[in-house]
Amino acid sequence: MSDVLLEVNGLKKHFSVGKSFLKRNRGLCKAVDDVSFTIRKGKTLGLVGESGCGKSTLGRCVLRLLEPTAGEVRIAGQDVVNLDAKSLKELRKEMQIIFQDPFASLSPRMTIHDILREPLDTHQVGTIEEREAKIAEVMAIVGLRPQALNRYPHEFSGGQRQRVGIARALVLEPKFIVADEPVSALDVSVQAQVLNLIAELQETKGISFLFIAHDLAVVQHICDEVGVMYLGRMVEKAPAEELYRSPKHPYTQALLSAIPVPDPTAKSEAIPLEGDVPSPLMPPSGCTFRTRCKHATTRCSKEVPQAHDLGENGVEHLVTCHLFAD
Amino acid sequence: MTHNEPLLKVDNLTVEFTTDKGVVRAINGVSFEVMPGETIAIVGESGCGKSVSSLSVMGLVPSPPGKIVDGSILFNGRELVGLSEKEYRKLRGNDISMIFQEPMTALNPVLKISTQMVDVIRNHNKVSKQEAKVRAIEMLRTVGIPSPESRVNEYPHQLSGGMRQRVMIAMALSCNPSLLLADEPTTALDVTIQAQVMAEMVRLQKQLNMAVVLVTHDLGVVAESCQRVVVMYCGEVIEQGTVEEIFANPKHPYTQGLLKSIPVVRDKKIPRLPTIEGVVPDLFHLPPGCRFADRCDKVGSECHQGSPVLEGDNGHQVACFHHTKQTSYTEAV
Repeated sequence: MSDVLLEVNGLKKHFSVGKSFLKRNRGLCKAVDDVSFTIRKGKTLGLVGESGCGKSTLGRCVLRLLEPTAGEVRIAGQDVVNLDAKSLKELRKEMQIIFQDPFASLSPRMTIHDILREPLDTHQVGTIEEREAKIAEVMAIVGLRPQALNRYPHEFSGGQRQRVGIARALVLEPKFIVADEPVSALDVSVQAQVLNLIAELQETKGISFLFIAHDLAVVQHICDEVGVMYLGRMVEKAPAEELYRSPKHPYTQALLSAIPVPDPTAKSEAIPLEGDVPSPLMPPSGCTFRTRCKHATTRCSKEVPQAHDLGENGVEHLVTCHLFAD
Repeated sequence: MTHNEPLLKVDNLTVEFTTDKGVVRAINGVSFEVMPGETIAIVGESGCGKSVSSLSVMGLVPSPPGKIVDGSILFNGRELVGLSEKEYRKLRGNDISMIFQEPMTALNPVLKISTQMVDVIRNHNKVSKQEAKVRAIEMLRTVGIPSPESRVNEYPHQLSGGMRQRVMIAMALSCNPSLLLADEPTTALDVTIQAQVMAEMVRLQKQLNMAVVLVTHDLGVVAESCQRVVVMYCGEVIEQGTVEEIFANPKHPYTQGLLKSIPVVRDKKIPRLPTIEGVVPDLFHLPPGCRFADRCDKVGSECHQGSPVLEGDNGHQVACFHHTKQTSYTEAV
């Protein structure tokens, strides 16, 4: 398949915890454990899961902001994991990231102009005039007025700051952007504005996104495919339409039912999840979700479930759960 | 609606802050009531004054720069504006409690949960440390923390976000307050944990029969847990009513926009999500007339000339010219 932009194969990221001079090695945290997926050109994969499930770590490993422990990442056929520093810098132009917190991810001492100029200077793109023209162009795309260029981040609201973050990711005209919870810190009324902006970028620029979120409702309208993660593993992955129509994994179903229903007359039929995500330092044996799953059987504690393809008519719908074995 | 006295009656409350750039009016003539045992929601975007409203009730508006310049806050018939710090301290935690948005910053990171909870309990009750600790453990069990006997001896960083918020709730409820102010209690949490914490709050509210003021920017959370909704915009109340009324028949264009922007899973993928265009105006440069006029799709010339006031019966009030005009039109017909 030539239209595949990003290919991730068996990606793993393990952190050793408490390994220091005085402390004993307390163990291994498997933040991302054997995750594989592909993103085609101009398409978006949504990655959903609770805090601590490894979705941000995965996003950073893909961009090599963190060094993966094992596995393969290819962007446009190029191996990212084993790239030397110089070629990696070249490749950085093609892959950018939008961070979650628009308050922490912009330097308070730099004007918006400086923030947008920095990546262009770092990568020596074009002449000075061309760089300025590029800055003006992205400002218009994200819907900020040119007067904003000389102002500082603290003068803007959360939604506007997130637009600056998006503009910064756009100046280098990347092919691929990791959006790490770009709307989680925003008011609901502003979330929709930012989501629409991202949808527009997909259409006009043909950029591929890896869109990370903790809320399934947020990603529905901008993702072509959705992957659900739990404790470092992908538990379900399917085309967006298919996933929302017939979620298979008990965890996906619980995530969907946890979204508050904005109707006071509706009877809440939520399947509340009991308890918290277990510590990734001591994950449950077998299926890691079994401690919170109402369908759990003895088999779940003994065997690690494998991914089963439940898709029909050539649609891939992967579910990692014993319920669907055989 | 019952005819007994409201537990909390905020009337024409106006709070100003003195800043380097001049005096800014964070809330302007806000009025609302809370009946005993009732849950109301104050909804609005960041900077609309919803947090300042709840902080005013707690007497926690930093002064200076903040100052309550007008209005009154009656709690159980007692005036809270102008209360001395000493008297407020007796009230806080005992009669009125508050839960904050950030459970990490609201808890003291260098003290154990037990120390912090025993502190609160012993401040308001003449009990020994041991008794207070037993009560703290009991409270933690009530809010659904597993094995509270061991958890009580842990530090905040050892707990997850949802657990910390439960500890906050336990602490806030440890002296049986009659009013709980919850300032965005679930905004920092995952949706699954949000569902757990909200369910817990609804259960406790019924069990202890306390009144709750839920401050939030997400109307979706409100539907399942509140009886009445107060919608704020730019420091003013622009619509209030019962939750059924607000959701079935929102009258203010801003409320309609807020309702449409709730993230829900739809049956079909739509190309663009409905939004409220534009941004909240700068409080220093408020437009003349209706403060929502610049973002409103139903704006008319009258909106720029005068400020609309809250009108309507007790069940549903709205501050919008467009709406009032429409009603008078139907009345004429």
